[in-house]
Amino acid sequence: MLEIIDCQIQAKTWRITLPDIHLNKGELLVITGPSGIGKSTLLHWLLGNNPQHVAITGQILLSGINVTDLAIEQRRVGLLMQDVYLFPHLNVQDNICFALPKTPQLSSKKQRRFAAMKMLEQIKLAHLARRYPQNLSGGERSRVGLIRALANQPQVMLLDEPFAALDPSTREQMGTWAFQQLTEQNIPSVMVSHDVEDIPSSAKQLCLADYYQTLEQIKAEMSDD
Amino acid sequence: MAATIRRVRSSARIRQIALTSGWLLVFLISLLPILGIVVGLWPPEQVTFADLKPFLAYQGLSVSIFMTLFSAIFSTLVSLYIAFMVYSQYHLSQRLQSFEKYLAPLLSLPHLAIALGLVFLFSDGSLFFVDPGLPRKGLSTLILAIVIKEVPFFLLIFSAIGRQLPIKYWLLQGKALGYQDYRCWWFLVFPPLLKQSRLALLAAAAYTLSVVDVSLLVGPNIPELFAVSVYRWQTSFAAGDQALAFWANVMLVILLAVTVFILYAHEKLAHGACKSLATQGSRFYLGKINPIFTAWLPMLGLLTAMMVVVFALWSFGFNWHSDSLVLTQLTTKLWQDEWLFFSLPLQNSLLIGFFAGLLGVALALLALELQRQKGKYWPDYYWLLAIILPQLSMVLGWQIMHIWSQGGYHSGWIVLSHLPFTFAYAYLVLKGPFLNVEPRYELLAASFGYSSWQSWWQVRFRLLLPAVFTAFAIAFSVSISQYIPTLMMGAGRVTTITTEAVAIGTGTQQDLIALYVLLQSILPFMAFFVAALLARRFRGSMGGNSVRDY
Repeated sequence: MLEIIDCQIQAKTWRITLPDIHLNKGELLVITGPSGIGKSTLLHWLLGNNPQHVAITGQILLSGINVTDLAIEQRRVGLLMQDVYLFPHLNVQDNICFALPKTPQLSSKKQRRFAAMKMLEQIKLAHLARRYPQNLSGGERSRVGLIRALANQPQVMLLDEPFAALDPSTREQMGTWAFQQLTEQNIPSVMVSHDVEDIPSSAKQLCLADYYQTLEQIKAEMSDD
Repeated sequence: MAATIRRVRSSARIRQIALTSGWLLVFLISLLPILGIVVGLWPPEQVTFADLKPFLAYQGLSVSIFMTLFSAIFSTLVSLYIAFMVYSQYHLSQRLQSFEKYLAPLLSLPHLAIALGLVFLFSDGSLFFVDPGLPRKGLSTLILAIVIKEVPFFLLIFSAIGRQLPIKYWLLQGKALGYQDYRCWWFLVFPPLLKQSRLALLAAAAYTLSVVDVSLLVGPNIPELFAVSVYRWQTSFAAGDQALAFWANVMLVILLAVTVFILYAHEKLAHGACKSLATQGSRFYLGKINPIFTAWLPMLGLLTAMMVVVFALWSFGFNWHSDSLVLTQLTTKLWQDEWLFFSLPLQNSLLIGFFAGLLGVALALLALELQRQKGKYWPDYYWLLAIILPQLSMVLGWQIMHIWSQGGYHSGWIVLSHLPFTFAYAYLVLKGPFLNVEPRYELLAASFGYSSWQSWWQVRFRLLLPAVFTAFAIAFSVSISQYIPTLMMGAGRVTTITTEAVAIGTGTQQDLIALYVLLQSILPFMAFFVAALLARRFRGSMGGNSVRDY
């Protein structure tokens, strides 16, 4: 479960004060808003990649544990971006191996490759195992990207306009497939999106513009008080 | 959670210690050139201004200085323009990829080998001698050798710069406005390319200013080139020669300053000319000869191959003047006789080259990574000081410090004296690919739970691996061709193929010269060959082709 408490994004001329967010396993939260308002910034803060141009305060709780001060690598947060960034020096199977967690069951190369292959078989992409990312289509790359992120068994999945670069028909197909995967694996997800059509009906929505205040508005509010 | 925080704290402390020692190491190496110049130019007690008089009155000094300055500026600028013409023919073409692949091996041939190759091929008594031919020793041979070596160097610099400039769109805009292709190149591409090649131009000119080995073997004799005089005075014990050496070193630094000024003035002039021609919508037909330059690289490849073949044939006893030119005459006698003499220098060359190359690449990566973590990159000229400052004065300073430290004549000192050069070239080669690594790959690795060390090693380094191999091959070649540092720091006791080649090159035994120069050419070539094989084996996003230099 993901909880975001007392979160505030503070820039020089504006501020966004978010309501507290509780996201259960398998639920999806979609963050919308005009470009430049800080959607991706918020997502990167959740990841642990603190932005430089704005200050974000608040607490992030994953399964009840406060992870706000932990480094990215200690959070176990998955990330899928518009550009999937599959590692170009590794083939599809090894990209997934790279993401698999280090557990006693997955300690040898053979075990890891086997596990990666099984994941690819489940989504019927086993034939891509030996291919390098440069030789995949956009849709294939997105699928492998999501599977790679899921292979890490993240506690929460962040999606930064993940399907924006795909053509409309692939985008719709990919969206349905991806949300189904996330729900099946019971992972809470936060997605940033421009496109309202991307959003499945079951998703929660948060429009950042609703909580946006300029400096003047804040001052006026304070003087009212 | 408390355990995690404790772990984070202790790893932060280790990180801090590692960072501080990293910076210290990088500073030490990058400051060696300045330290060398300061110590090298520190006036010995007995030197006074009165000694300036005999220096200035030295016979043939003005001609020697003029020839040196002329050869440095002229060969650099001619190489620049030829390289630009060649680049404009190859850029955007399908063959671009392959041309970059072949540049590195072409560049691997040391200056000395090219110079002697020209002599073996075209001077009096040689295979392709046509009267008046190339003089055995003369300014024209020296300049030609340097131009042949520097053109591929500038081509690599251009292709590295070109990758970061929207040349394709500039040409498109220019052509849409009705300018012909070659005019677009001169009006739109040349000015920014020239500005960004400043350091490369300076490095090439500074090299020619203070190169001793090539000047000694193929440079003119009466008077000799300035660098040769400087070296002779530096190593002489005759009365007054040390004072001459001091003022000569001062003069070298002045010559470097004059070179900087001339190159800068040239840049301003060229800019002005391009600008005024462009605003006038002028027509000029210089570019029409561009197609000739398409042939440059194949010709260069052929020339290189011919040089290597001629060296090989000479070393196997092929007699050019015999009536029957048959290959059955070939004999390995010279190789067998010489094996005893060249095996130790060969072993020294390989070991010194390997360690100087490896450390140079490692330190360049360290310098780049430390700057990346700081979020600020220092100007290139700081890191490249070793190849910009005059080598003779710098190495003199190191030699003085080496004598103070009473370190003895171990090959380790030679590795250290090569390190600033291998570091500078490795830095030049690696900077572009290093900056081009997409930072989000590491972000993703962190999201999968990899620590910053792990993701550096498994992602960034792996992506850079092909470029690292090329950088190593270049650094190795740079080390192989070092003459002055090897000779001065090793006091002649640590011999390498290059010091032997120069010593033998001043003699007259043609077949022996060929053997040593062949060995000197083969070593870098082998390094490039192995690097290319390895680069192909390890995939990376930054191709091994993205090299910039020697």
